[in-house]
Amino acid sequence: MKSWCNARRAGNGALLTITWLAFAPAGHAEYSLSGPVEAWVDEPMPPGFQVFPSELEGPVFADSQGRTLYEWPLHKQRNGYSGESPGTPACYDDVLTVTAGLMSPYPAGILLPDLDNRPSCTDLWPPVLATIDARPVGRWSIVGRRDGSRQWAYRDQPLYTSSLDREPGDVFGGQNNDAGGDDPAYRVPIGPAPRVPPGFSVRSTRKGRLLTTDKNESVYAFDGDSATATACRDECTQKWRPLPAPALAHGGGDWTMLERSPGFHQWVFRGQPLYDYLLDQESWSQQGNDEPGWRNVYTQLAPSLPESFTVQPTIAGDVLADSRGMTIYVYNCGDDSQDQLSCDHPDDTQVYRLAMCGGGDWRVCLDNWPYVRAAEGAIGSSRTWRVVTIDPQTGHFADPKAPGALRVWAYRDRPVYTYAGDRNPGDVNGGGIGEWRGQRNGLRAFWLRDDFMRGGL
Amino acid sequence: MTRIFAFAVACALSLLAGGAAAEEGPLRDGTIGYVMTNLFWSVYQTEDAKEECPRGFNDGPREQFEKLFPDHRGMTVEETQLLKETETWLPTAEPDGFPFFEVEGRHSWGMNLDGETGPNDFIHPESGAEGIDNEVYRAVGCIIGFRGPDGVEFIFQDKAIIDERYNRMMIELAGVDDLANDDEVTVTLYRGLDTLLTDGTGLKVMPGGSQRVDHRWGESLIRKTKGRIVDSVLTTEPIPEVVIPWQNLSVPSIHLFRDFRFRLDLRAEGATGIVAGYADVDTWYKQLIRNDSTHHLSNGQISGVSLYKALRRLADAYPDPDTGANTAISTALNVKLTQVFIVHPDQG
Repeated sequence: MKSWCNARRAGNGALLTITWLAFAPAGHAEYSLSGPVEAWVDEPMPPGFQVFPSELEGPVFADSQGRTLYEWPLHKQRNGYSGESPGTPACYDDVLTVTAGLMSPYPAGILLPDLDNRPSCTDLWPPVLATIDARPVGRWSIVGRRDGSRQWAYRDQPLYTSSLDREPGDVFGGQNNDAGGDDPAYRVPIGPAPRVPPGFSVRSTRKGRLLTTDKNESVYAFDGDSATATACRDECTQKWRPLPAPALAHGGGDWTMLERSPGFHQWVFRGQPLYDYLLDQESWSQQGNDEPGWRNVYTQLAPSLPESFTVQPTIAGDVLADSRGMTIYVYNCGDDSQDQLSCDHPDDTQVYRLAMCGGGDWRVCLDNWPYVRAAEGAIGSSRTWRVVTIDPQTGHFADPKAPGALRVWAYRDRPVYTYAGDRNPGDVNGGGIGEWRGQRNGLRAFWLRDDFMRGGL
Repeated sequence: MTRIFAFAVACALSLLAGGAAAEEGPLRDGTIGYVMTNLFWSVYQTEDAKEECPRGFNDGPREQFEKLFPDHRGMTVEETQLLKETETWLPTAEPDGFPFFEVEGRHSWGMNLDGETGPNDFIHPESGAEGIDNEVYRAVGCIIGFRGPDGVEFIFQDKAIIDERYNRMMIELAGVDDLANDDEVTVTLYRGLDTLLTDGTGLKVMPGGSQRVDHRWGESLIRKTKGRIVDSVLTTEPIPEVVIPWQNLSVPSIHLFRDFRFRLDLRAEGATGIVAGYADVDTWYKQLIRNDSTHHLSNGQISGVSLYKALRRLADAYPDPDTGANTAISTALNVKLTQVFIVHPDQG
């Protein structure tokens, strides 16, 4: 493993503190992640390339300057495809001017908004260029661009950085838990494989990096267990299935084994024997958490929520809420150009959002979808949750001292909202409002636990 | 799914264990449960639709877009797509310039909700009963997406009742002396937690499954009312307000009904009939467009913009105290239920 961090173990070894000093470029403030972080499998990388832990996506690959690497996989739309086929860059410096008609019912050929300021694909997604003498290594290859330049690729997918990322470990350009059927063709961060035994996997959720089986079943631990003894026997195992380790398996790192009975070994992660829950109704279910003493297992927890926020039960699961218990929503947007440029960030065009929330009138938007205001003195404690200043008329970031500017909470650098149509705590009347069920120009609720929606979160 | 199936089999075996219990049948200690397996808006259809829709069917978003913007090339997203989306998501009752074909026939499924017979009421197609209140039918009956067997809403809304646990509504009848005739039974509405017991095709729901009551997320959905059974037909008293979870295309949403009631033909293995009441107009509309968005609406030729105006125009109950405009609209839904053993927490 690269010595990219100052790692130390404390107590029983469960706590690993990561300090970002080593690779933080000059001028960047020290930034810390505390708590266990996800271990990964080393693999050969091009010279200078690195791995950084991120707050939500686990370890991600970065270039020599610490910028997170993204790919743009081919994504089927309703009327065609967007994204890139392996080995074939499609993101260039052309400024596209009309819609591609990829999503019904609207046809192609309509003029895109803000054409005077519209960026090109490479303005937002600079390609990761390889020097003339660079050579492929491992899963890393080099593909040719149409101007003759050479671009790094991973598993043959051309690589980019995001104009939204500012510091090593930032992953504001995309997420791994998007990519639903009717989502835009998102760019997604890439990273090394998590260091988990065969039969396990890790999935990004709003609560953290959830440990699952390779069938996507969430994994549990019991408070009454230890690394060397289990309290779950006999009747307990009718609902909780100990996850077996093969006879020839051996542990390492965070992983050990417990011999429950002669010849039966159970996987143990960070001192916790692991189970799955037979009454989970679907592969993504997390109903085992409702059993006293049982909880899901994460390789790494998401950053803490702002102190003023609450978790609100609804008839569909647990949702994030403000201090009054009102559901919090995230705005999602991708345009219908062949580039599928995002329109969900304050740096992007606000034409789509203002149309959806207020028919183009920013005052109506403030009434219908008010920003979640930050209390005076409140500051974010992570990159995931921070306080930003917004000009409500334009929707763009504003100087903190600008007249009328609002201090609001942002998740992944994007403001969050409540909905005027929610009357009481637990209401989620705004989820899915907007184009394509809120996936392309609309809002979705900030679900923290999802027992009903196919794990879409 | 395999492990859930195994658990369901284990439950079924345990329920059948002991010959005496197995011989009791589904009515045990005066209690029987049913789970909903079909639920869709009652739309009376004649073979050629000439009776109910003599002027034909309504246009949808695609057809309206072509008429509004025949030369869309050269126009902006704001002038076209976003204009229509704004009208969809921030609807008004003002006319949109398009004709809207309401049902013009005299017949409809449903119930007489207000006990009166008025000029706008329908006649029941089978019994000939007058005073049938079903203005949702008048609004959607000439929209192909709401008509069986291949309308997009007909398919997806009904399909979700089986596919999604979020929609797993069930009723428990207690105090039942006889499933054929009983002067008073207690009817409780719950949400279940479990997937359904089906045959090998996965499509046909079988009686005899078990469903745990959802007290984790569904406590607020529980309702109780009284009913009576006459010649195997259960009729309940109206429930003042009922929330039905509704998730047909991945957005968990609700319908809100007032004066909600059941009329069911009861059998030991299942029940069929209708539920009826007054649907809150805004909730009804938002449920539709949040789950469908303009794409799926287009597949059913459903103009959300035009339909909202019709719903507002036809709303017939619960006037807003400030504006006087009705906020709710009469409706009925066809429902099928399959017998299920409802498991309460103290029953393990």
